[in-house]
Amino acid sequence: MLRTEGLTRYFGGLRALAGVDYSLEGEGVFGLIGPNGSGKTTLFNIITGLYRPSAGRVTFMGKDISRLGPHRVIAMGIARTFQTPRIYARMTVRENLLAAQHTLARAARAADRAARIDRMLEVTGLAARRDELAKNLPLPEQRRLELARALARAPKLLLLDEPAGGMTPAETDEMARLIEEVAAPGRTCIVIEHKMDMIARLCADVCVLNFGAKIAEGTPDEVLKDPVVLEAYIGRTGGPS
Amino acid sequence: MDEYTIQVLSNIGMFSFIALSAYLLLMTGEISFGQQAFFAIGAYASGIATSMWGWGLGLGILWGALVAAAAAFLLAWPTLRLRGLYFAIGTLAFAEMVRLVFEIFRYQVEIDGELVGPDGSDGFRGVRYTFENDISNFQYMLLIYVLLAAVLVFFFLMGRSRLGAIFRMLGEDELLAEMQGVNRTFYKVLATVLAGFIAGIGGALYVHLNTYVEPKIFNVMLGVHSLAYGLIGGLGTSLGPLLGVAIDIGLLESIRIFTGYRMIVFGGLVAVLLIVRPRGLLDEEVVHWLKYRMWRPFARPVRRQPDATPREVRDAQD
Repeated sequence: MLRTEGLTRYFGGLRALAGVDYSLEGEGVFGLIGPNGSGKTTLFNIITGLYRPSAGRVTFMGKDISRLGPHRVIAMGIARTFQTPRIYARMTVRENLLAAQHTLARAARAADRAARIDRMLEVTGLAARRDELAKNLPLPEQRRLELARALARAPKLLLLDEPAGGMTPAETDEMARLIEEVAAPGRTCIVIEHKMDMIARLCADVCVLNFGAKIAEGTPDEVLKDPVVLEAYIGRTGGPS
Repeated sequence: MDEYTIQVLSNIGMFSFIALSAYLLLMTGEISFGQQAFFAIGAYASGIATSMWGWGLGLGILWGALVAAAAAFLLAWPTLRLRGLYFAIGTLAFAEMVRLVFEIFRYQVEIDGELVGPDGSDGFRGVRYTFENDISNFQYMLLIYVLLAAVLVFFFLMGRSRLGAIFRMLGEDELLAEMQGVNRTFYKVLATVLAGFIAGIGGALYVHLNTYVEPKIFNVMLGVHSLAYGLIGGLGTSLGPLLGVAIDIGLLESIRIFTGYRMIVFGGLVAVLLIVRPRGLLDEEVVHWLKYRMWRPFARPVRRQPDATPREVRDAQD
């Protein structure tokens, strides 16, 4: 479904991604982890067309999307959330969800937009907040709003950038449950997250980036025991430096 | 109605067009200091059409608006990559260029033994359509308000449509809008062109009421005012800029309570409002309050939303 080949991106002299080959197929939640600055968000930004790769390419459902503008990529059925929640602060919660649907194809919009929005508001627990200005929501609700908004487009591929960032354990749990029960069924999700419990709970497959390169891939258990991964996260373990 | 009232109301109407033009761009998140350029282009183009080419008034106004829209299209491309302050400076530079072009623009023909047409910095005299066709100031005022009403209907319909929503999305968070599939380039250009068209109507109306224009009318102060109207009146609704015009021209200028100090009071008002109410009197919060808190109890019974906790509706899966 999604495939990157030799994906490389420079920012000036800094190499943010160094030839990443990553491919995923089928439904489910795929984990994308790595230390801060390892290129995870850059990968999302390239997939969604915000940046062009310096080298390599991205294919989505068999089509090369690495040279398309963001609106063309998004139209193919990709939605995302952001590390720092981005909301339309001066719109109501419901208008935020409506906004997400404005660019859908006409047929898809007419079919079930209102019903879908109401359902998304309910499952994310925002129904009582629907007419509140979005800027008045606390952070955990803003993150849930982002998720509801992404789902309002019924994307095929959903990219979640630290969906539980800054949340308490209980809120994290709730977010994990939402991803598991609402977001994941019937689509492919990629989750960037630093909370390993959450990754272990949600993902069958985890990819680890470090300094822009893929250093490991496998089940959460395998990956988290991998010495290379441990070294990347907590530094060199034993032996001469 | 006495002539003075008619004159004041006509001015309020005409400057509402340029205020709405600046407001449309503010909606999409861009601050333009250059809308006076399209006001000027609309004035010159329609004045030329009626006084030199013998066109009717309606066609002349349409022509002025279209030429202004075309100029806006040309401006949109080079400024597309500019954001925030840089866009503001770009539009300001463009407007000054347009003004300087009109300072040297000469295009005159002899009509009834008299030279008619733009004469550089001496301005463009003899746009006498309203005199020659016996249109009274009162009738002309009605024309202004009919056209203004049409533009307001357009804004109202746009506000309820997908187009208006997309403009607001771009205005709030351009990157987020783009990440939701909005074609930024297309809609930014469209907003600039529409804003040019609306300012062009205002300019076309202005030249026929005053029978003459000169380049220095279209200086930066006009652009600053047109921006300030929206910022005073409020950015939450298209009635905001109109309120701004009414406050400035209707109260400060016409009632003459602040004779001689008008600009000081106006400038002070802008400064205070930018601090106290950065998005104007009728901002989004007021509009939201009116919509959800005030109208609702009268409109229809409020349907209580069930305070559904996620766990209770876990079966309502996607």
